[in-house]
Order: sequence, then structure tokens, then C-alpha cells
Amino acid sequence: MNIFLQELKAYRKSLTIWIIGVLVMVFSGMSKYAGMEGAGQSLNELMNNMPGVLKAMLGIQSLDVSSPLGFYGVLFTYLVIMLTVHAVMIGSTILSKEERDKTAEFLMTKPVTRPFIITSKLFAAAVQVTILTIVSFVSSLAAVYYFAGEGEFFREILIFSLGLWMLQVLFLTIGSGIAAMKKNPKKAPALSAAILLFTFFISIMADMTENLQPLKYITPFQYVTADMVINGNGIDGIYIFLTCILVSVFIWVTYDRYRKRDLYV
Amino acid sequence: MNMYRHEFKNVLKSTLIWTLSIMAITIFFFSMYPTFSEEAESLKRMLEGFPDALLQALNFNITAFTSILGFYSYIFVYISLAGAIQAMVLGTGIASREIREKTADFLLTKPVTRQSIMTSKLLAAFTAIIITNAGYLSTAYLMAVIVETEGFSQGIFFMISLSLFFIQLIFLSVGVITAVLISRLKAVLPVSLGTVFAFFVINMFSKSIGDEKMGYFTPFHYFDSMYILQHETYNPSNMILAFVLVVLLIISSYVVYTKKDIHTI
Repeated sequence: MNIFLQELKAYRKSLTIWIIGVLVMVFSGMSKYAGMEGAGQSLNELMNNMPGVLKAMLGIQSLDVSSPLGFYGVLFTYLVIMLTVHAVMIGSTILSKEERDKTAEFLMTKPVTRPFIITSKLFAAAVQVTILTIVSFVSSLAAVYYFAGEGEFFREILIFSLGLWMLQVLFLTIGSGIAAMKKNPKKAPALSAAILLFTFFISIMADMTENLQPLKYITPFQYVTADMVINGNGIDGIYIFLTCILVSVFIWVTYDRYRKRDLYV
Repeated sequence: MNMYRHEFKNVLKSTLIWTLSIMAITIFFFSMYPTFSEEAESLKRMLEGFPDALLQALNFNITAFTSILGFYSYIFVYISLAGAIQAMVLGTGIASREIREKTADFLLTKPVTRQSIMTSKLLAAFTAIIITNAGYLSTAYLMAVIVETEGFSQGIFFMISLSLFFIQLIFLSVGVITAVLISRLKAVLPVSLGTVFAFFVINMFSKSIGDEKMGYFTPFHYFDSMYILQHETYNPSNMILAFVLVVLLIISSYVVYTKKDIHTI
């Protein structure tokens, strides 16, 4: 419990900045919605007939930005990018920072087992990630209802947020898995960032052309897509299944590797 | 000169990795152009049925948009994201190394002024950026010539390509000022990734909803490749803004760094 609380305390400054960031992003983003209303039917028609590449070029991904949910969908894509950056960074630093800051010896000589330390740290990271999801969920609800007026959006925004949380947890465990594997504590965040960027670029390429559809399975950024959620299809079961497997594997890797490895002091 | 050489040697490996990665991304993106131009043909046919007024209202120059330069200005957004991350990580890393690695007392007790330390660091980072841009420029040009057999305006092509250099300069100075302002920066990546992605997301969002004013908050917008494509020149006011920003950030970095308390151990 002490380790858990200590980790929460260590990150409170960064968490505060992130919370403010999410709030600013959601509210200033949705506040632009008012100006977008009534873009016209012919525009939507044009958008719907456009080939995938050009849609990707304009950054619209077949979303109707004149509807509140379509507009929120655009914002959601960017929320995912920001919050996965947070998740992968906290996942990789929460384990590796002891070695980076030369406090590993201090912590490891305490009468607790390594699995206990990992559990406390992972919980602390998961709590922070979840706090951000909840902040994003509540502020999104408030912002969409405030700026869009009437309409029923609760279910969609809930699905969006659950999808967001799923991706955050996935990237969190990717980060912690890498941190447990890497002997040099400075390399863990770098490798995690590289994986994040790599999957992000794969996702962009998959958006650009139909030929690269299979790539959608290897990049988490394609697991939760705004148009699927808005059309009422939610999140494809196979992606949820895939995420569960990946998360379990990375958690196992985290425990297995960190328990056995020599620490860098 | 010793300091410059030392700093340069220190960043050389990561610079080479970054340069090669950016070159790889460029090659992948350009190799998608043939698919793109096929899809663009079908769009052209479709758009013939649309009234001219609508297309003008959308600011939609279809010929420019579907050419290799239109394609390039789209993919360039993502290439500049990678470049910006490199530059910010470089700037933050190089200006905070002594503090992170606890070698500040070693360096600062040498008979050199803090200004000259800063200058050596900045020059080393500048050299790294020049190497990256040289690698990028040659790759991009080569790929463009290979995939587009009909020829294109080289002036616009180089103007877009060169904006990578300017964007990197801005993010380098943002990184340096961040490093000198935070008294005990422990990790480079979380803060750099967060900052660059935040600016990137602001830029993408302002583009998706067509909000020009929002663009002033993000360096990515200063060298908007779509603007260069349409006007065949850089946006003069944004160019001045970028220049002033870089000069201000660098001067303040010197001022802060020469006066700041440096924590050792």
C-alpha cells in the first residue's frame, strides 16, 4: 500500500497537467462545434463518395462533422493519440525510474517481494490511466450535451470511453513489459515510444489504402474506430479479444522478466 | 571545440537512427503513391458532376490535390511529426544531460563560460538536424522522381521539404527552453512526446474543422504544406512568427541557463 501511495504521489504533478490537458482539449474542441453546424447536405454527399485516400488526406474518415457525434468522433481520434502517449510513457517509466534515478537499491532492500512491487506499481499506473479515462468521459459528456443541445449521446460516448480505456491499458502494459525486459532503464521509454510511433504510422497507412487492411490487426489505433461506434456497431469483438490476449501476455512478461532480471545500479 | 565534439559524438548514434527511420517512413509513404493516383483518377471523374461553386467554396483545387505534390503535402504532415519529435527530444536531451546524469559539477567547474557550453550544445544539435535534413531531402527527392514519371514543380517540392528543417528548428528551441526551465528534469521522452503530440493534435484538429485561428498555437501550422502548394510560397507572416519565436526561445534559453541554479547529486 505504501508503494502504491508513493507512486501516486510521485506522479501527481504530471497527472494534474494531463487532466488539465484533457479538459482543455475536450472543451475547446467541442466549443468549435457550434461553428460547424449546417455544413450542408451536398458537402456530406461529396464526402461520402470520396475514395479512402482523399478522405484520409482531409482527415475526415467518413465522419459527418455536422452531427455532434461525428464531430466528437474526430476529437476522439486525437484524444486516443494523446492518452496512449500518456499510457505508454507511464507504463515504461513507472518500473524503470527506480533504476534511472538510482533508487532501485533503496526499494529492493525493503521487506517486500518483487511481484508485490510490480503489482503496486501497475495498480498505481492503472489508477492514473483510469482517472484520465473518467475525466475524458465525464468532460466529453458535459461538453457534447452543452454544445450540441438535445440528443441522445450517452451510450456512444460510453462506448468511446471504454474503447479509449482499453487502448490505454494495452499501451500501459506494452510499456511495462518493455521496461521489465530492457536492462538499460534509459532504453525502455525510447523503445516504447518507438512502438507507439510505429503502430501510429501503420495505422495512417492502413487508412490510406484498402490493400493494407490486414495491417489493422497489428495496430491498436485501428481497434476502436469512430465511424463503427457512431454507426452503432460498437467495437469489433475480435479486437477486444486481441487486446485481452495482448494485455495478459504483456502483464505476464512484466512479472516474469522483472522478477528474474539483474537490476541496473 | 572539445565540448562541441563531445556533444556531437553523444547525439550521433541517435541522430543516425532517427535519420534512417525518417528515410524509411518516407520510402514507405512514397511507395503508396501509385495506389493513390489510381484512386484519385476515379475521384476526378466523380467531381466532374459537381458544380464549380461548391468546389471553390471548399477551396478544392483538384488537379493540385491529386498530383504528386498534393500527395506529398499530405504525407509530409506525418513526416514532420517524426522530425519534430526528434528535434524536441534532441533539444531537451542535450540541454539537460548534465542534470540528468549528475555530471554538472564536472562540466561547470571547467574554465569555460556557461554561454560557451550552451553554444556548443546548440551547434551540436544544429549539426544533427542538418544531417537529418540532408538524408531526408535526398531520399524524398529520389523517391518522388521514381514514383512520378511525368515530372513536377521542383520549387514547391523543395519548399515543402525544407519546412522540415524549420519545424525542427522550432521544436529544437522549444526543447532547449523546456530543459532549462524545469529545474530537475528526470526524463526527456514523456515531456517531449507529450508536447509534440499536443501541438500535432491541435494542428490536425484545426485542419479537420477548418479553423485557421487555432493554427497559430501550433508550429506545425506555420509551414502548412497545403498553403505552400496553393500559393507556391511560404506564408510570410507565419514565417516571421516562426523566426521571432526561435530567436526569442534561444535568447531566453541563454539567459535562463547562465543564471540558473544547477542541482548536483
